Amino acid sequence: MDFSFIVVQLISGLTMATFLFLIASGLTLIFGVGKVFNFAHGSFFMIGAYVGYQFSSVWGQNFWLSLLCGGLFAGLLGMVAEFFFLRRIYGRADEGGFQILLTYSFILILDDLVKLVWGTEYKSLAKPPALSGAISMGGIVVPTYNVAVIAIGLAVVVAAWWLLNNTRGGRIARASALDREMLSVLGVNVPMTMTLVFGIATALAGMTGVLAAPLRSVTPGAGIEVIIDSLIVVVLGGLGNFWGAWLAALLIGEVNSFAIVLVPKWATLFSYLVMALTLIFKPEGLFAPRKVRRV
Amino acid sequence: MASIRRIASLCLLLLLTGMLTSALAQEKVIKIGALYPMTGRSGIYGMDSVAAAEMAAEEINAKGGAAGYKIQFINTDSKAKPDYSVTVAKRYISDDKVNFLFGVVSSAVGLALTEVSKQEKKIFIGTDHAATELTVQNLQPYYFRVSNNTFQSMAAGALYLKELAQTKPWKTIAYIGPDYAYGHAQIEELKFNLDRFGVKYQMVGEFWPKLFESDYTSYITSIMQAKPDILVSGFWGGDTVAFIKQAAPYGLFEKSLYFHPDAGGNYELLSAMGDSLPLGLVLSARHHNNWPDTAMNKDYVSKFHKKTGRYPTYAAEGAYVGVYAIAEAVKKVGNPDDTEALVKALEGLKFQQPEDPEGFTSYIDPASHQIVQVQAIGVTVPNTAFPPATRMLGQWKIYKAEDLLPPKEWAAKNKP
Repeated sequence: MDFSFIVVQLISGLTMATFLFLIASGLTLIFGVGKVFNFAHGSFFMIGAYVGYQFSSVWGQNFWLSLLCGGLFAGLLGMVAEFFFLRRIYGRADEGGFQILLTYSFILILDDLVKLVWGTEYKSLAKPPALSGAISMGGIVVPTYNVAVIAIGLAVVVAAWWLLNNTRGGRIARASALDREMLSVLGVNVPMTMTLVFGIATALAGMTGVLAAPLRSVTPGAGIEVIIDSLIVVVLGGLGNFWGAWLAALLIGEVNSFAIVLVPKWATLFSYLVMALTLIFKPEGLFAPRKVRRV
Repeated sequence: MASIRRIASLCLLLLLTGMLTSALAQEKVIKIGALYPMTGRSGIYGMDSVAAAEMAAEEINAKGGAAGYKIQFINTDSKAKPDYSVTVAKRYISDDKVNFLFGVVSSAVGLALTEVSKQEKKIFIGTDHAATELTVQNLQPYYFRVSNNTFQSMAAGALYLKELAQTKPWKTIAYIGPDYAYGHAQIEELKFNLDRFGVKYQMVGEFWPKLFESDYTSYITSIMQAKPDILVSGFWGGDTVAFIKQAAPYGLFEKSLYFHPDAGGNYELLSAMGDSLPLGLVLSARHHNNWPDTAMNKDYVSKFHKKTGRYPTYAAEGAYVGVYAIAEAVKKVGNPDDTEALVKALEGLKFQQPEDPEGFTSYIDPASHQIVQVQAIGVTVPNTAFPPATRMLGQWKIYKAEDLLPPKEWAAKNKP
């Protein structure tokens, strides 16, 4: 294995990690702030992809505009789902079970909705022409689009860091993760915060759906397929831990990427192995602060 | 009060359905109970199969049916789940009194249903599902398959590679396919056939992403490092789309010949990818919308298009042919109830199909109950006759049906 190949494989892992993170970040954000596990998160990813397809391939709009619209639509739909449905089950005994059932029903409904509107054939979305080539440097070839995806992923990380640390909204979101009751006593509209966070997270999923569409097949059922890998990332990072999700995505991406080279026959096993070991030895997540354990 | 009314209306409903079924029972019918998936990733194959089977039934019924019997085709969403499909199949037999079990896309469902068919002595006409063992080690008297199995595709593939070596010498092969039975069977069968036809090759890598993997980047860069002359692929459906989209900007298709003889040439792929499908890929499928260039095939494709507004994926032709196989067998026997006589009629049944080229007629091999068909492998070329696809297959290479059946050594190697 020569050096340039290692670099190529590292970049491949990074591409995978970026998509994993972009989906998992919303999932973990919703869990962190509202203790809701949104099983249907992948379906908002799928809806985004289809709306992007509609704008870009059917109506011939600019790719970036389609990306924006896909995100916006998924975000609005997310807010509707939270406001009219999820909100009704907060605080029930056994809320967890209801969350899974309710969000699972969203998956089925959204899958069928997509089938009604767009049919079951595979849909395709073209890359923006400027990004369709590849960058080649010293024997290393990387598609321009993959570089753009990695850059967008990094931009989201930086933007999220800035928003969460330096804005009032970010501080409210973090506070709501720690103590919802106290926050509402201080005069913050906590339910509204939750709806907004849900909207932001699902919008992110929708945008990721459009971003991934030129590399994947847009198909009903895509939602349930991406949720498993994202779930691994969320659990590894520590449920609700935004930065943990980022590190976990990087870990899974790279482990997978090198497993494919070194043990191709068992490559798919490794991400699950990492998760199983984590659940046994550090169930609060690889990157969660230690204190949780001592409670 | 309300509950009494509810009970009364329920009774009325039951009465009505009872009258309806008895009214139907007076007409002479051949009941076909199908189990195609209508949801999930394979939903498109199910929808196309049902549309094509209904088309065949309408055609046959319009001509007065088979031996005076009208065809009645019913489908239940199999959800591609074996255990669920078994329950439905048993209900078909006990309650609906079907004459034939029919269909299925997934080989896992096929393997489960062939057991029901064997126990209940009910003929099962298999379409689309391709696991070779159904007509080799798991063969039972009441199972017949009217679309080709992976062995036939791979035998044709091996012959293609053999010819290729004469014009464009190649040495190394890598394989990528989904990590489950279908993916593994294809490469095993290709290797067996390459050996059988005396083709020398060196395997430089086997890659096993999971089914429905969404990100192939790391696989692609790994394959490029292995530098195979030929990249054999065993994907189906959206996985092929995702793989090709992700691999194209890396220049993989300029460095290795992409070779995908079982499901690569399915129309869904051609239509989904449009201009982004690279030229020069070597693909095939179980039916092609533009080959053979016969009146029957053209007629079939255009009728399907008229009925559904889209061109068919290959699954559709299997279902279409399956209904005709039943009609032909019933015509021979004179009724759809004498199962043993129908089995005899189906064994060796020979009838013209849309995918038969001029001068050849497909037939069911009496020994293996497997349809024997000509295989065509093509190369992606520009062609806008079947929109939204802008590439179709061309530069066809044709392989004789008799060369593609599993030989005795294969059956011996794969005993039950």
